[in-house]
Amino acid sequence: MSETLAIELWTEKYRPRKLDDMVDQKEIVERLKEFVKDKNIPHLLFVGPPGTGKTTAALCLAYELYGETWRDNTLELNASDERGIDVIRTRIKEYARTVPLGEVPFKLIILDEADNMTGDAQQALRRTMELFSRTARFILIANYASKIIEPIQSRCAIFRFQPIPKQDFIGRLKYIAEREGVSLTDDGLEAIWEESMGDMRKAINTLQAAAALGSKVDADTVYRAVGKVTPSEVREMIKLALAGDFLAARERLRTLLYTYGLSGVDIVKLVYREVTSARGGLELDDKRRLELIELLGEVNFRLVEGADDEIQLNTMLAKLALVGKGLANVSAR
Amino acid sequence: MSARAEIPWTEKYRPKTIDDVVGNPEAKKAFVAWLNAWLAGRPPEKKAVLLYGPPGCGKTSLVHAAAKQLGLELVEANASDVRTSEALKRRVLRAATEASLSGARGKIILLDEVDGINPREDAGGLDTILEIIRVSRHPVVLTANDPWDPRLRELRSVCELIEFRRVGVRETVKVLSDICRKEGVECDPSVLKAIAENSEGDLRAAINDLQSIAAGRQAVGLEDLEILGYRAKQLNMFEVVRQVLTAKRPETARAVLSMPSLDYEMLIQWLNENIPYQYSPSAVAIADAYEALSKADIMLARIKKEQAWTLLPYALDLMTAGVAAAREKPPFKFVKYSFPFKLRALSSAKEIREERLRIARAIARACHVSSKKALTEVIPYLKLVYENDPQRGERILESVGVPAEAFAKAFDLTVAKRPPAVTRARRRA
Repeated sequence: MSETLAIELWTEKYRPRKLDDMVDQKEIVERLKEFVKDKNIPHLLFVGPPGTGKTTAALCLAYELYGETWRDNTLELNASDERGIDVIRTRIKEYARTVPLGEVPFKLIILDEADNMTGDAQQALRRTMELFSRTARFILIANYASKIIEPIQSRCAIFRFQPIPKQDFIGRLKYIAEREGVSLTDDGLEAIWEESMGDMRKAINTLQAAAALGSKVDADTVYRAVGKVTPSEVREMIKLALAGDFLAARERLRTLLYTYGLSGVDIVKLVYREVTSARGGLELDDKRRLELIELLGEVNFRLVEGADDEIQLNTMLAKLALVGKGLANVSAR
Repeated sequence: MSARAEIPWTEKYRPKTIDDVVGNPEAKKAFVAWLNAWLAGRPPEKKAVLLYGPPGCGKTSLVHAAAKQLGLELVEANASDVRTSEALKRRVLRAATEASLSGARGKIILLDEVDGINPREDAGGLDTILEIIRVSRHPVVLTANDPWDPRLRELRSVCELIEFRRVGVRETVKVLSDICRKEGVECDPSVLKAIAENSEGDLRAAINDLQSIAAGRQAVGLEDLEILGYRAKQLNMFEVVRQVLTAKRPETARAVLSMPSLDYEMLIQWLNENIPYQYSPSAVAIADAYEALSKADIMLARIKKEQAWTLLPYALDLMTAGVAAAREKPPFKFVKYSFPFKLRALSSAKEIREERLRIARAIARACHVSSKKALTEVIPYLKLVYENDPQRGERILESVGVPAEAFAKAFDLTVAKRPPAVTRARRRA
């Protein structure tokens, strides 16, 4: 391995280096291996839910194309971090100007979270892709194909990553636990599977965090880890809002927004997890739970549409109070 | 001679005797009776009095006038200026227990605007006031706009409560025309009436308004009012918020839209901040108001994103009339509005946020994710590992190029409970 220092996070330590090491996504892997054999690839668009191997596949492809020099021939960009298309364009221009090393006649540009770019930025990206298509190939990575504009889609070979089947998912976790000398019980595995909702990165992070709490990882350790990773303000906020204490709930919300730096959508997801979680931190009857889920869906929708996280989430809190009205038994387990 | 150099008319014409104080005859009588008991050497059962009512109705003026007329030394602290109990103790507590130095007959301790005390910032401020009342050898007078704030419950229980009401239009006009006469300004009576009505019982505001159009002039006509209305309304977000949130009918709330240069993006933030203060305890009113605000916010977002300016009227209607149309609004109460927290928070927490982002960026690079994802999906786990297994945590951090100390500091982690580190240090020593 060419890294100067092996990264001790298990998500990185156990990230597959070669296409053959990848868990699942068999059809995709087969086609990518064809590309490697030909030493040629079209522009690629990887879409699929988080933690299903999109970035890993791109990195494996880079490694197999270029071998040990893959870092010199690959530019990794993240659309959420690069401020604006101009920055992206400049970096790509500078990078693609030089000739690639080795026998592959192009360099690789991996653009992650491409669906976070606005329509205008994507149009500009399209022109950039055309401009440099002789010296560079693009791998765009996104959660939703629908958020990528048509002209880009039509220039790319699209690969749809499926959620990893439970069996493969669990197999991988077992493998890591074994290598790390962690005793992982069946109910522990089940708990990780449930909490991570098919997201391999989240699952491995959960496993590593749970392992830090004790050498034996069972369901209890997993839930404790997940509980600690979720800011305590989330549950407090929900309980206070349901109990009708809007101001106190809003205070928690503001900690999450302005101290933790979470986005509105992050917070709604956490609330959703609390409301639906098997851990049952909140005692809700089915009717109220459904009301809450409907409300959260609406809030999530508005956040995607809306401008101001706090206004939308305050609206959520105000409505939680209505759902909670007359609900006496909202209490911690 | 210029108007600018003049002292405020509200000071210049502050009443000098109790009789000069306009309006509120019952309140005056009750206050004088309470004060007389003190001066007669038999302190009343309640050693403190709480004068409450809307701004500019004569609470503070009455205390000043009484002190002047009765020859009492006035020890005054504005409770929302003198922050923290420390300052109150230093300045007021001693004065309350000592005899007057100036040879006056006695003292009045005046603590203005006690409802402005923020219990979080002014740690112990309220406790100190209670202590002052307990130990004081002199009459203690408190004033407040909203005495029903739950935080003031204990204070209310040790005070005699005296209510002040808004000053009537006729009384206000009388004060204004007196001032005009003394200033030598010829003033159209309809102008004075308009000022008085506009002031809604706030005599101080009325006098300020009069001064701003009449000072240094010989005659004032109706046309001068326009400048006044423009100036007064344009600047005061508090009043805009008040008009929206206390409107009895949606049209009244909507009327704020006719104000020149209303900053609607500011307004939506101010409403977001203050809806719960005005509409609690009604959960229904709060939810209805936020629902309207939420929809207005979505439209503002679309306007910004897609230049969909045709949506603006809907957004504006929703954030004014829509908010005011909330069901089950509680009866009117006076609320001190707050500046939007968000605007303050974003500037004050900036440094911490930036340091966290720097660390997140390093981790993001190592993990092939965005720094936002690193912040929300990697770092929480890393924190947990670090806190429970510091050695492993340090190894991980080292491998991604982040100094453990910087990490612990940026994310408020307790490094104290790390036995391995302690033993290492000892060994070295």
